[in-house]
Amino acid sequence: MSTEEQSLITTEVQTENTTRTDRPDETVLESRGLDVHYGDERALSDVSIEIPEHKVTAIIGPSGCGKSTFLRSINRMNDQIDACRVDGELYFHGKNVYDDDVDPVALRRKIGQVFQKPNPFPKSVYDNVAYGLRVQGLDDKLDLDDAVERALRGAALWDEVEGKLDSSGLDLSGGQQQRLCIARAIATDPEVILMDEPTSALDPVAASKIEDLIDELVEEYTVVIVTHNMQQAARISDKTAVFLTGGELVEFDDTATIFEDPADDRVEDYITGKFG
Amino acid sequence: MARIEYQEQLEALREDVLEMSDVVCQRLRRALEAYETADAALADRVIAGDHGINELYLDLESDCIDLFALQQPVAGDLRFVAASFKIITDLERIADLAVNLAEYAKRGDRDRYPEIDVVHIGTETVMLVEDAMRAYATDDADATYEIAATDDEIDELCGRASRIVARDLVRIDAVDDDLLEEVSRMLLTIRDLERVGDHAVNIAARTLYVVENDDELIY
Repeated sequence: MSTEEQSLITTEVQTENTTRTDRPDETVLESRGLDVHYGDERALSDVSIEIPEHKVTAIIGPSGCGKSTFLRSINRMNDQIDACRVDGELYFHGKNVYDDDVDPVALRRKIGQVFQKPNPFPKSVYDNVAYGLRVQGLDDKLDLDDAVERALRGAALWDEVEGKLDSSGLDLSGGQQQRLCIARAIATDPEVILMDEPTSALDPVAASKIEDLIDELVEEYTVVIVTHNMQQAARISDKTAVFLTGGELVEFDDTATIFEDPADDRVEDYITGKFG
Repeated sequence: MARIEYQEQLEALREDVLEMSDVVCQRLRRALEAYETADAALADRVIAGDHGINELYLDLESDCIDLFALQQPVAGDLRFVAASFKIITDLERIADLAVNLAEYAKRGDRDRYPEIDVVHIGTETVMLVEDAMRAYATDDADATYEIAATDDEIDELCGRASRIVARDLVRIDAVDDDLLEEVSRMLLTIRDLERVGDHAVNIAARTLYVVENDDELIY
């Protein structure tokens, strides 16, 4: 078992029946027959997908198709919704994240998330980034300083905030706030970053900075992004998954294939605007 | 259906490209008629009409660029607009070759090579362009392969004609300027007609790309 798997588990119990060893080396996340219900309503239907490491995977589809539900399923954010029921399997490095011995908080340190609307804490720029590190037990000032700078540089924000680390994160522009949230997410050294429409609340210039940043982040991390902007998906992603109504994953392939020659007629109709 | 105006623009592009091809093929047929009948006035009308085709080409090029920029087509739509963008270039060049033929029609001495049937070869090439445009209009992938095969037969016809001229050239003892010009003109005529066939194959290749995302005939 890798250290990544070990870090997710609060007990030493290992359930061999749900640990996959036959996955391709490059796959970091894999769902098998994933079903999600909100009460009686089915939000995801039998979703099976392998998400490659160090790639940008875009998830597109019409409203209500289950894109965000799928994203939240990856780091168990759906656990916080009482009526939500998850069936099937979701593997992170071959370990089913829904096994009883997985600590969701530890999981979310490895699989960070950035949301549609920038949501910095009402704290200083520095403390926003240092928050997760302190929770992890890092309290040495110099180490914290280094980690905060590294995260802010990683989020392409350092040059803009170097002189105002004590200012409130809420005083930054919308685009800067979103990059602050990305810095906060990468500060705890995750492997995967989930992004749920991260540029939909931003102007085109701020959005393009985030897109450039995603291109850099993928060198270090795996990025899974939900977007309503199909041109954005086409521009920035390596792989694209198309969900359609009913929470069905209809097609998953290289992004160029999806946008030039999709196999499924429903995908062709959706991306060309004839449906949805 | 969503994006109704966009769908209408795509259909309008297809109709406009077909309309351009009708005009181009008509010009080529008239150039052949001028060649056959040595009708200098008709040849002049073909030459004068090329300006209009160039204008049509630029309008359609602009329509394609607008579609790329404003509608950002993807998948089958993307292939269709990209292919149309290329096909109008082929059509514009066929029109240029029709002008060349009209120029030759005004100057040719047609008695030197009675065994070379320029009009027959030309008619075959026009029909090939028309077949290619029919395949484009109807998304007929099977027809595109037939067009490529027919072009091989036209190439053979042109090859035979060129060899006749080449053999004649080596037999000529004293080459005067007029004779040399006549021989060169015949070679250029044959080459231009062969190129019309090549453009028809280009159109077929782009059509196959639209229909099946297959670039087999392009390269």
